[in-house]
Amino acid sequence: MNRLGIAFWLVLAAGTGAAMFGVKYTVQNLDDELARVRKQTVAEQLELRVLNAEWTYLTQPERLAELNRQFLSLAPITIKQLQHTIAELPMRPPPPEEPVVAAAPAPPQPLPAASGELAATPVSLRSDEPAAPAMARAATGPAVPRAAPAPAARASRALDALFAQIAGDR
Amino acid sequence: MLSAQRFDENPCRPRHFKPPPCAPVVTDGEAHARLELCRQRLVVTAALFAVVFLVVALRLVDVVALSGANAESHVVRIRPVTPPPPDRADILDRNGQLLATTLESPSLYADPRQIIDAEEATRALLTVFPRLDRNDLLAKLTSGKSFVWIKRHLSPTQQYEVNRLGIPGLNFEHEERRIYPFGDLAAHVVGYSSIDNVGLAGVERGLNAVLKRGRQPVQLSIDARVQFVLREELARVVHDFTAKGAAGIVMDARTGEVVAMVSLPDFDPNHPGMVDPATPPGEAREQIFNKITLGDYELGSVFKIFNTAMALDSGVATMTSQYDASKPIHIGRFTITDYHGKHRWLSVPELFMYSSNIASARMAVAAGAARQKAFLARLGLLKPASFQIEEVSKPHFPSVWREVNVMTIAFGHGIAVSPLQCVTAVAAIVNGGMLRPPTLLKLSPDQVPAGERVVSEKTSTQMRKLMRLVVEYGTAKKAEAPGYVVGGKTGTAEKNAGGHYLDKKLLSSFIGAFPMNDPRYVMLTLVDEPHGTKESYGYATAGWTVAPATSRIIQRIAPLLGVAPQDENSPAVKDALAIASLQGKRIESY
Repeated sequence: MNRLGIAFWLVLAAGTGAAMFGVKYTVQNLDDELARVRKQTVAEQLELRVLNAEWTYLTQPERLAELNRQFLSLAPITIKQLQHTIAELPMRPPPPEEPVVAAAPAPPQPLPAASGELAATPVSLRSDEPAAPAMARAATGPAVPRAAPAPAARASRALDALFAQIAGDR
Repeated sequence: MLSAQRFDENPCRPRHFKPPPCAPVVTDGEAHARLELCRQRLVVTAALFAVVFLVVALRLVDVVALSGANAESHVVRIRPVTPPPPDRADILDRNGQLLATTLESPSLYADPRQIIDAEEATRALLTVFPRLDRNDLLAKLTSGKSFVWIKRHLSPTQQYEVNRLGIPGLNFEHEERRIYPFGDLAAHVVGYSSIDNVGLAGVERGLNAVLKRGRQPVQLSIDARVQFVLREELARVVHDFTAKGAAGIVMDARTGEVVAMVSLPDFDPNHPGMVDPATPPGEAREQIFNKITLGDYELGSVFKIFNTAMALDSGVATMTSQYDASKPIHIGRFTITDYHGKHRWLSVPELFMYSSNIASARMAVAAGAARQKAFLARLGLLKPASFQIEEVSKPHFPSVWREVNVMTIAFGHGIAVSPLQCVTAVAAIVNGGMLRPPTLLKLSPDQVPAGERVVSEKTSTQMRKLMRLVVEYGTAKKAEAPGYVVGGKTGTAEKNAGGHYLDKKLLSSFIGAFPMNDPRYVMLTLVDEPHGTKESYGYATAGWTVAPATSRIIQRIAPLLGVAPQDENSPAVKDALAIASLQGKRIESY
């Protein structure tokens, strides 16, 4: 028991000593690395200062203007390009109202199941639209292409107005 | 006890031998007391050691197993890694572009005694510094001294090249050097500093103390892009009208921040002492001279802004008041005439629009000398501007304010102020009446000073309308920039040399603001001694020189400054700038 005890303490002491030295050397290495990294950081920060100055030197407005003249020929923004803000863009034309569909002459026809499925797809995309008219539109079948030109024409008129404004013909 | 044990366990002991039982040592009283004392001392010492070891053990457990309650505080104590701060803080523009910085700039020296082959070293060094004198360099390297300068202030590339040569005996001395990457772009704003890092001009001088102690860069209110546009357009005016020089300033009307400031001719702050050999003598002084802050000019008709504002604000005149401009005024040895004469009575908008000297003089006389002087003083036109640049001029004005002075000051003669003072005062008049000191430092919204009221809101609105009228119908039609509702006032003054006016030497200036219904920026442009061209029909007046330049500048800088264009004909803008007394009347061109 006594010998066991002595052995235990000896092993423990040796183990502690070894661990301590291990930790000490690890810390020392870390310290060295820290110092090295610090030195490198400082060097790189100094280099950044140089690069920053160089970048500024290379982006002198005068030089950029000359490069632009040689390679890009960009012009200053004119007022025509600034006349409108995003808020002024016309909204997407509203979906066609029921009378347009109702005016379509073709009577509702029974459709094959497959085409009914296809026609149902837009309904899921435009959930804000009541499902019934969409179904009704789909159900009109060949009449749909004739009903479509109305919104398209309205959209192009809006674009015309916009282009006219941009071109300055106001 | 020890001896007893030894006998006991000795394997070689005779079997019959039995050690005598340990008889308790009976000590006498004195010996017993001593032993007892020693034992007590031992116990106390052991207990102390035990306590200390226990503390160490607990601390070890704490640090290793529980990672220490306050270990974090040690981490915080580690200082952040920063490079050694430069001798002088950087100067940035309002968008963070570098205007001035300090770089390590090593200087190269040699220890000739360590140089093995001077010929070879000279040849190699000349590949890096082709402008060094070969014989001179060779003489230095063979001199046998222990220290000779080869070249001061190398660029980083040059340092790299020299290192790559790998010549023993060459060494670098650490030095720092001020660099202005934008060169002459903002020369007069930033100024320059000496080789010992002492600011000698511009912000470098004005904020020398801040720059020297500061680790943080100083951010100016200057916008390098606007500065570039202003400089380019002014250079064009100088070129087109073969002028002696030009100057311009753009100021934020609401805060007093100077967004751009140019004075031509200018210089490269990287080499302030070095003048291009091509420039004639005397030119160097001209280049260093900052016309915006140091110039004091009789700005001419631009002063009618102040004269009219004074009359309107004090109630001496209203928008419908009329003044006789039918014939010149003779007073003393002066005769006051009109350049764009109408030879009739003029209302206030008309006198402003047609820039009538006669009517302005009559209006000033009606207000009186005391009122005029007090008003100009309130606008800060009678004392040097306080600014981050120390080189400011002292305004010149008559010591005795006689009637003739009142008359001439009404149209900007007989009083000389710096363009900086003028633009500051105009900013106050158009921004709603609050005078804020000019500044070159970028202000955050909560740093903007409240300002000091110099004219009423109503007068400010009236002045906006009048200034808009000048661009719409008056002398500055060419300053119009479609969409930006420009307003302003032209001034063409004859330069005063030694007490008399030089007829052919003009100083044409234009002070404008945009957008006039709610001014965001005020700008002043002036051109020194322009000469008429074929395109300007021989005119060198402000309406033909700086007004078109102002239009071009505004069209280029407004998108950069985030000023949205507006439709001049929209009811909102029209209402804001309509003059009731002129409604429905045909407005004659000047």
